[in-house]
Amino acid sequence: MTATQKRIIMNRVALTFSTLSTLIALAFLFWILAILVMKGVDALNWNIFIYEGSPPGYEDSGLKHALVGQLILVGLATLIGVPLGIMAGTYLSEYGKNSKLAHTIRDISDIMMSAPSIVIGAFVYAVVVMPMGHFSAWAGAIALGIIMIPIILRTTDDMLQLVPGTLREAAFALGAPKYKVIKDVVYRGAKAGILTGVLLGIARVAGETAPLLFTSFNDNFFTTDLNEAMPSLTVTMFNYAISPYEDWQQLGWAAAFILSMFILGLNILGRLILFFGKKRK
Amino acid sequence: MASIIDIKEECALHVRDFEFTYKGAASPSLKKITMPIAKHAVTALIGPSGCGKTTLLRSFNRMHDLYPGNTYAGEIEFEGRNILGAKEDLIHLRTKIGMIFQKPTAFPMSIFDNVAYGMRLQGIKNKTELSDRVEKALQDAALWKEVQDRLKHDANGLSGGQQQRLCIARAIAVEPEVLLFDEPTSALDPISTQGIEKLVIELKERVSIIIVTHNMQQAARVSDYTGFMYLGELIELGHTEELFVTPKEKLTQEYITGKFG
Repeated sequence: MTATQKRIIMNRVALTFSTLSTLIALAFLFWILAILVMKGVDALNWNIFIYEGSPPGYEDSGLKHALVGQLILVGLATLIGVPLGIMAGTYLSEYGKNSKLAHTIRDISDIMMSAPSIVIGAFVYAVVVMPMGHFSAWAGAIALGIIMIPIILRTTDDMLQLVPGTLREAAFALGAPKYKVIKDVVYRGAKAGILTGVLLGIARVAGETAPLLFTSFNDNFFTTDLNEAMPSLTVTMFNYAISPYEDWQQLGWAAAFILSMFILGLNILGRLILFFGKKRK
Repeated sequence: MASIIDIKEECALHVRDFEFTYKGAASPSLKKITMPIAKHAVTALIGPSGCGKTTLLRSFNRMHDLYPGNTYAGEIEFEGRNILGAKEDLIHLRTKIGMIFQKPTAFPMSIFDNVAYGMRLQGIKNKTELSDRVEKALQDAALWKEVQDRLKHDANGLSGGQQQRLCIARAIAVEPEVLLFDEPTSALDPISTQGIEKLVIELKERVSIIIVTHNMQQAARVSDYTGFMYLGELIELGHTEELFVTPKEKLTQEYITGKFG
């Protein structure tokens, strides 16, 4: 056997194995999605959006409480996490640059990104829930917001650094003060990227359960009081799924399906914005 | 041994014993440079890569201040004061001394907003005044005819040559005294290059121009005065024809005849 033949065979073997591995990984993914879609669509009906939770066995039970609660929690988390993340990312890219402090912040933020989310939950439990004396939507939103910060901080930092330095210099050369250079030129240049980072950050926290378990806790009824425990899709899903009642399990599937579609939608939207943002240039 | 011409007419800038050192560098990148910059004329700076011509150009609007740790010594006189002073108002200075970069730097906004940007920075809000001055600047930059129907369009949709003329329009819209050109045509095709060169010659009626170029033919075509720089020193400054035809320094002659560089 010549060296060339040997190489061709090796190449085929490697290709076969890597293709097989990919197929197996994808098969599980589609299996999960297929079951989710089948069970989820099956469990969907209008009642879900109209009624709040009820004890098992009632006809008129839905997920309105969890849907609204989820939106409130994620919305509040976005209000907390996005400004902090973008401002910190701006500091890193435009002011800190390669300083020791900036590198330390980047490292810590990377560690935060991979920290187990339940740890963040425990932290918020200690500093917010304990002093307040009760669970609250605020506590849940703060936990989610903290998880969001490092994601948005890093994408903002990366996206701002992609804006060419000559563009900044050109603005300075026209006599622009630094904050206007950042606001008018750098942010505009990185608009699509930052927006994508924000959407991916929201998508990331929207699926979190652990940090909510002992911050916003859960509630089976509709509420908009931010100082009270607040239901969320994820915790509701968890409670319903492990319950022995079939109608609750059905609602759990519906919640899983709606949440997955929401996150999928955010991800697709984020990618579309990035794609069209790049094409325009 | 430098041979520096004495300019009799009024000067826009006077450089005296100017030295510039980059952050952390052991020795200055520009050494004891003394040169007058004639008013309402084009002064070209030529020389091999790394000779310091761009470094010198970026000293005139104190662009080096964007990166901390660089140091200036000596004097650059502009409008009767030394602009290297610690109290110099850089924002004001940069509205008086504009700059055009090597690569076009259209901002990610509309064509109109690009040209209006500098004026808005100066606090001009009146819509009629803005649009009049935008039109005038675009006409002066020979771009008006091509863009008058799409002023609201994204400036990044323009070609490279158009974007460079847009940058010139943006710079002249704030009516500076001096314009610095840093190899403005090195990223452009020959036809766009011709357009920019024509503009440079037209503009010198109103502004004093300093242009850094790699291209000796370009220096010969557009400039009234030419300075030849080598290893951080200004070797010779003279009338352009004289410098190219009868250079006074041996180094200049070797460079313009292609013996090195």
